Amino acid sequence: MRRLLALFTRATIATILFTTLFGCSRVDHKQSALDPKGLVSQNQYDVFMLSVWITIFLFCAVGGCLLYVLWKYRAKSKEEAMEIPPQSHGNSKIEASLILISALILVILAIPTLQGVVLMNRVPDANDEETLKKLNLDRSQIEGAITVNVTGKRFFWVFEYPQFGIVTANELVFPANKAVRINLRTEDVIHSFWVPKLAGKMDLMPGQENFMWFIADQEKILSGKPTTEAMPSVFDGKMRQTVFAKQKFSDEFEPVGGLFYGQCAEFCGNSHAYMSFRALAQTDQDFDSWVKRFQNSQNPNLQPSAYNPEEMYNQGAIVTFADKSLGEQAQREYRSTKKIAKAEAPNLSEKSWIKAHSDDYELGKQLFSSLQCVQCHAVNRTGIGAKGPNLTLYGLRTSLAAGWMRNDEKSLSTWLRNSNEVKFGNLMWNGEGVDDTHPLRQLENDDEKVNQLIAYLLGQI
Amino acid sequence: MATESIDYASPETKSKVETKVFPRPGQHVTGIVDWLTTIDHKKIGLLYGLTALFFLLLGGIEALLIRSQLWSHNMEILTNRQYNQMFTMHGTTMVFLVIMPLSAAFFNFIMPLQIGARDVAFPRMNTLSLWCFFAGGITLNLSWFFTGGAPAIGWFGYAPLTDTRFAEVMGDMGPDFWVFSLQILGIASLLASFNFITTIINMRAPGMTMMRLPVFTWMTLIVSFLIILAFPAITIALAELMFDRTYGTNFFDFLEGGKPHLWQHLFWIFGHPEVYILILPAMGIVSEIIPVFSRKPLFGYGLIIFSGAIIGFMGFAVWSHHMFTTGMGVVATSAFSILTMLIAIPTGIKIFNWIGTMWGGRIRFDTPMLFALGFITMFMIGGFTGIMHSSVPIDAQHQDSYFVVAHFHYVLIGGALFGLFAGFYFWLPKMSGRLMNEKLGKLVFTLMFIGFNVTFFPMHYLGMIGQPRRTHSYNEGHGFEAWNQIATIGAFVLGIGIAIGIYQFVSSFFNKKLKPAGKNPWDARTIEWTLSSPVKEYNFARTPIIKSRDQAWENNYGPKEKHAQQEALGDHGVHMPDHSWCPLVTALGLFVMVIGLLFRQTIEFAELFIATPYEIAIAGGSLFVLGIVMWALEGPGGYHLFPKETEE
Repeated sequence: MRRLLALFTRATIATILFTTLFGCSRVDHKQSALDPKGLVSQNQYDVFMLSVWITIFLFCAVGGCLLYVLWKYRAKSKEEAMEIPPQSHGNSKIEASLILISALILVILAIPTLQGVVLMNRVPDANDEETLKKLNLDRSQIEGAITVNVTGKRFFWVFEYPQFGIVTANELVFPANKAVRINLRTEDVIHSFWVPKLAGKMDLMPGQENFMWFIADQEKILSGKPTTEAMPSVFDGKMRQTVFAKQKFSDEFEPVGGLFYGQCAEFCGNSHAYMSFRALAQTDQDFDSWVKRFQNSQNPNLQPSAYNPEEMYNQGAIVTFADKSLGEQAQREYRSTKKIAKAEAPNLSEKSWIKAHSDDYELGKQLFSSLQCVQCHAVNRTGIGAKGPNLTLYGLRTSLAAGWMRNDEKSLSTWLRNSNEVKFGNLMWNGEGVDDTHPLRQLENDDEKVNQLIAYLLGQI
Repeated sequence: MATESIDYASPETKSKVETKVFPRPGQHVTGIVDWLTTIDHKKIGLLYGLTALFFLLLGGIEALLIRSQLWSHNMEILTNRQYNQMFTMHGTTMVFLVIMPLSAAFFNFIMPLQIGARDVAFPRMNTLSLWCFFAGGITLNLSWFFTGGAPAIGWFGYAPLTDTRFAEVMGDMGPDFWVFSLQILGIASLLASFNFITTIINMRAPGMTMMRLPVFTWMTLIVSFLIILAFPAITIALAELMFDRTYGTNFFDFLEGGKPHLWQHLFWIFGHPEVYILILPAMGIVSEIIPVFSRKPLFGYGLIIFSGAIIGFMGFAVWSHHMFTTGMGVVATSAFSILTMLIAIPTGIKIFNWIGTMWGGRIRFDTPMLFALGFITMFMIGGFTGIMHSSVPIDAQHQDSYFVVAHFHYVLIGGALFGLFAGFYFWLPKMSGRLMNEKLGKLVFTLMFIGFNVTFFPMHYLGMIGQPRRTHSYNEGHGFEAWNQIATIGAFVLGIGIAIGIYQFVSSFFNKKLKPAGKNPWDARTIEWTLSSPVKEYNFARTPIIKSRDQAWENNYGPKEKHAQQEALGDHGVHMPDHSWCPLVTALGLFVMVIGLLFRQTIEFAELFIATPYEIAIAGGSLFVLGIVMWALEGPGGYHLFPKETEE
């Protein structure tokens, strides 16, 4: 009896320890599937929890039975260990009923499984009111769905919005209140697109287009807080500011609302671990503003041209004038400080024209070409340089190196000087044609050039 | 109790001796030559076991390096490529060079004893299979020393990452070594399986009907069938991959119209039965141990065997559950999801029956029983998480996360390895003739059980909070650190436990202080326990005539009419086959040929050799053919032994 009591106490202590251990560990980590923030991931979480309860029940039942048997029929002495118990060979009634029970339990899991398969593979029909009602969706959320073509490359992500004609990289901006259809493609090996809080993963298969979709739960993201705090806007840099202000890089439990973390989940080569990305939820308005801004900065027709005396300029208009201080044939962008009539201010004067960008920005822009960055990176999508991530509106991004670092001056400086030390094997350092003679590799100790490049890159807003 | 053996040649055998073209090493070879030329299934089994335990240590060190690298965020113990090589080699080693050959060690050693046979059907083929396994293991691990180092493609080698187009080191030879070593290992497994099937079907002692076979032998039979049905799939896949890499064909090259999906289907239609190839032997071992330590016959013998066969059969119908996230569409994923759930039923039956066996028994907690109970509980957890993965929506989150890592380690360590360790503690006294230290055994079990759970239980949680597998590093701020550190500590405890266990196994053959085991130290039930420990080279002095299922038990406790009888010895005595060099020569030829073929692909390395790779391949191929020809011509040979009537 005393032994039994001791065993009981020990079991109690173990249980308490176990529960506190798990009680203390929260589940709202950056990539936690236990903290669903979307319809699909919520469904997957629900099925998972059902399976957890089923298996805990089974484990307790079968394990308890096992413990009982081990306790009850243990050989208590050497003599007893030599006894010969009745040699029974089985009981078909017990066996048949156990088979039946296990089959029944599986049916409980099979039904939500099949429903889940359909849900994750097919966006509900906007005309199917019954389903929409069951899923608690509004017709407009489906009808206003956006499509994103995701292309995986070693080791970063390309996000193309065919409806809006824009391409970005590594940070997927999406409207929180609308369904997002994702077409998955890859140009090299297999990758897998996984944002645990929004939906389970789907692979990017070479030579085949896969599909998945998700819809975030705007109310859950806001959870009663004002939009500016819970879902800051991307297009005007508020998201970046909030992330940097609120979040130490190592802060795991205070994620900014609307910021989701994702990662490549299929082994794709040396730097597979570094192939992460972010998804930023936005209100409908903010999303539209972001798209507009992106479209404008990608539009070659809207790029500033040389000052033309035959034209009228509004206040804030940007034109280019030659600037010898930047180089022989260099053009520089100037912004008008007031409304300028035809041929009113053909020359640079402090009164009518001010420099649109700092000297560093302009020099950085030149470096971006002369250091051959432009070979792989497109800014203002000109068609060339799509090998690397598109850098349009780079200054609005929260992260650098496919989600690996915080996108600020400090990390950008580390990254530009020696990206191989941050992300061993990355193609910016190791790609085809990049060797020790490549100008990029000369940046390591060149503070001036690095600062100029940073000014240019972070000036992409 | 020395056997008095007399060289004997009856008139018939004399004429056979004369037809010998090459002399075979006879019965009196000793030392290293004895081990190199042996065709005795027991020695082959021991060599299989010893080699596999060595690879277990090697794969274990790789695992510990992996765990050290994951200690905290942004660790730099290994570079990313080294890490990727580690998990590739760890996986390949543990599957093909540890669990499979450890099972093969028991198949070889125990199965012929359990059916009352004197050896397997084709003893020399058995030796060839051993040396092929050896050659495969060496080939795989040689890759470390050549261009690109070990393969960094994962044990699943998904196309198109294996394509030369995506090689991250110029002229990377890792995948070539991987392809060729797996091919050789495939030959080894196929040879062994055909051998075991023939043996079990044809060489059972009189009275040993199929429904009297011990469960372990049944599982050997089922696993052998699984191997011969599953391995052709990967052989084809590997051959296609080799063609893609060497000759620029486009089986898997999507740019030329190939299908990366094809690789996954071929790999997993092999790979899923492979899971059962790994786990069924352990289930067989546990089904032997639990009745012995409960002193009751197996509950539902027929059902356990039937469910084993059903598991093997259905194992071929569920492969695509490894591919739920590859975009197979609603219908295919649903179908494979339901089929996968169904396979839980026969697996559950086994667990019910093991508990049923213990019910009403007199349970002793010796080390083999502890490992068997560890197997049941750990395998149960692995099985339950397996049911979770069978559900597609759940799998969409779990796939390629640490949750899956936890799941299959619960099945393969908590299941297969615990089962195999149970087998070692159970049968090693039969092999070495000495009982092992119970206290040390229980220490090993405690270390392994605690270490294992501390390592792998937190991984369920790590997977749920988003740590993907096969990543050499993780960023700070994800909250992965603490649980990874716990797992790493656990891994070292587990490693220490396994190392002590291996020491104990090996030393039991040399430590003269250990108590002699006697014929039947556990009061076990099957006929291998009627033999002396260690087993004599001829196994059964006189072939037993089997009267019941648990023959050793019935001999001791059963009614008179159920006692086994023995066939008369006859004036032939026991015919023993001669040793042979041919299997070793054949396997060596194969190995040399493969090395030649490997280097054929990278011209730069030709200078390293005295001959060109081309010539080496031809030389190896010639040696291979020479081995086979000599094999055919060397003749049967053999000698006769006359054990005394009293010998078992």
